[in-house]
Amino acid sequence: MKRIRRSLRLAIIVALALGAAAAACAATTDYEALLRAIDELQTFDKQDYSAVYDIVSEKPGENPSTTQVKIFRRDDHDQIVILIQEPERQKGQGYLKIDDNVWFYDPESGNYSHSTMKENINGSEAKNSDFKKYTFADDFDIVKTEEGRLGVFDTWILTLQAKNDEVSYQKIRLTVRKDKPVPLKEEDFSVSDRPMRTIYYLPTYVQVGDKLIPAKLKMVDEVDKGTQSVLTISNVYVGKLDDKYFKKTFLESAQ
Amino acid sequence: MELIKLALRNLSRQKKRTFLLAGAIAFGIMIVTVINGFVGAFVSNISENFANLAAGHIFIQGVEKSPSGKEYDIIRDDSTLLAAAKEVGIPAKYITKRSSFQGTIIFAGKTAQLTIDGVDFAGETFLPERLVFTSGGMQGMSDKLGLIISEPIAKRLDVRVGDRVLVEMKTYTGQNNVGDFAIAGITVDPGILGSMAGYANKAYVNQLLNLEPDAYQSLGFYLPSLTGMDKYGSALYESLRKKAQVFDRGIADEQQNYVRAMMNQAKKETWSGIKYRVFTLNDMLQQVQQIVNVLNSASLVILIVLFLIIMVGITNTFRIIMYERIREIGTMRSIGMQREEVRGLFLFEATFLAVGGVLAGIIFALIIMGGVSLADFGLNSPLFIILKNGHMTFRVPFLRTVFDVVIVAALTLAAAFFPARNAARLDPAVALRTVK
Repeated sequence: MKRIRRSLRLAIIVALALGAAAAACAATTDYEALLRAIDELQTFDKQDYSAVYDIVSEKPGENPSTTQVKIFRRDDHDQIVILIQEPERQKGQGYLKIDDNVWFYDPESGNYSHSTMKENINGSEAKNSDFKKYTFADDFDIVKTEEGRLGVFDTWILTLQAKNDEVSYQKIRLTVRKDKPVPLKEEDFSVSDRPMRTIYYLPTYVQVGDKLIPAKLKMVDEVDKGTQSVLTISNVYVGKLDDKYFKKTFLESAQ
Repeated sequence: MELIKLALRNLSRQKKRTFLLAGAIAFGIMIVTVINGFVGAFVSNISENFANLAAGHIFIQGVEKSPSGKEYDIIRDDSTLLAAAKEVGIPAKYITKRSSFQGTIIFAGKTAQLTIDGVDFAGETFLPERLVFTSGGMQGMSDKLGLIISEPIAKRLDVRVGDRVLVEMKTYTGQNNVGDFAIAGITVDPGILGSMAGYANKAYVNQLLNLEPDAYQSLGFYLPSLTGMDKYGSALYESLRKKAQVFDRGIADEQQNYVRAMMNQAKKETWSGIKYRVFTLNDMLQQVQQIVNVLNSASLVILIVLFLIIMVGITNTFRIIMYERIREIGTMRSIGMQREEVRGLFLFEATFLAVGGVLAGIIFALIIMGGVSLADFGLNSPLFIILKNGHMTFRVPFLRTVFDVVIVAALTLAAAFFPARNAARLDPAVALRTVK
């Protein structure tokens, strides 16, 4: 009986200690820093970045469509070029972001028109802004934090509220691995607080130096049920890219 | 007077020939008058239909520029705008204050693109009067979430009155948003642009756009007619530029119309507060005016080509007439008729042919236009935009008709002139000796 009582007391002490440790851990977690770390992990400030993204989109009642885009990024100048390589019909179309201006180039007309980073790529679930560097820390405030588990991973769940009205989504719920600052899931909400899109960052990564790039993403439309896009990343290059890629003349000659 | 009688008698002597010649002239003038009538009504019908779709003839839109250079369409306080309109004395039948967005309407896995106009139905009484419902109606708009869509959209989505749909759209600053709507009414297909338009309560549209309840995006002045649209538009622009920031009007080059030019200005310029665009339906429809110019030129070319062909016929016919009447001309000349009178006789005949042909052509054109305008193409015709209440209408511009008549008379006289001159120059003795 004494032994049982001692064991019980020990169990309570251990439970309290673990709880206190968890609470202390939670209390000491710097979520701002975590958000910044997520941004850092996929931002290439000193180098340029290029990769090929294959986007397979599915819509109810339609055959899957494939879009291939090549991305060129120069993060320290906030420049991005998105060049559509497939389908053949759209080949050569592209987006060029210089500072706050986003231009869309159509090789058929040879004209540029103003666009935005909120545009979807060729009717897929992927938006231009999904290809730019992450700016969660700059654009969002953390309004709520939770702990959770997704698959085999212990996670932090951060609810983010937009600091400005220029980002695509007013609210984001970001599920991040606890062991490293890598997002596993991103739930995007409308201004009216309705789930609009969920991005699953499948846990396969391309490691480039100290950077970790999710190799596959699944974007699920939560409004138009059954619509989704799967993005597969390949041909990742991190290093110095020629200046020519970030000029209008590149898009004009790229077809 | 004798010459006129003679000319008329000569024409009546050869009824079949006169009928064919005048018929050719009548056919030409009929074709051209019908084209002119169509073109004349084309602009006004398109303008009226667009006025209904766009809810006005004169418009003001406000544009705000964000610190990062993005443009937002918004009118926050319209007191200055309404004061300017009052000062100018715009005789507005209705004033419309609308907010709108383009979105994707989603129902049971089916989607369609449409523009939803937020309408203050209590103030815009003309819209309910104009909408023709196939099911449902205005009573459903008492529901805050009510939405009126056109038949093609309803068919595409397979929705009925009472169904709930989702609309994916963007706020006025471009953030993603989703709205719930309840189908309140389905209207007949109003044609090209109208079929992609839907109407909802402005308060709810503002909420989805993230606009203040009193804010909106476009102020429209609906005039009693198209007359005076440009005059009042210009006066409003001049008045407003003294009171507020206004985009320059009338700097468009050949490649762009005024509205597009003002939009391009907004991209290049920076300002604080709200800057306004003032434009009219005619500014929006400059391309339509270009189409009209092309049609007018085409009708003039058709007129000239037709009459060049007819001229050849008239010239040949008058040559034959001269040959047939050569002994008659000799007799008339020998009993004292002067050369000028012989020439005048031929020219009178040509003039009467032209007058008769023109009159017949105009009468036939009026009959055709009247007949066509009686045909009801229906409100859901694909030609909706050029129709008036489902009917093709014609408006024959008076001056253009006078111009065409003068051209026809001149060409006919020119065609008859050389045979007439040759007839006048005939030696009476030679003419009398001629054996046919």
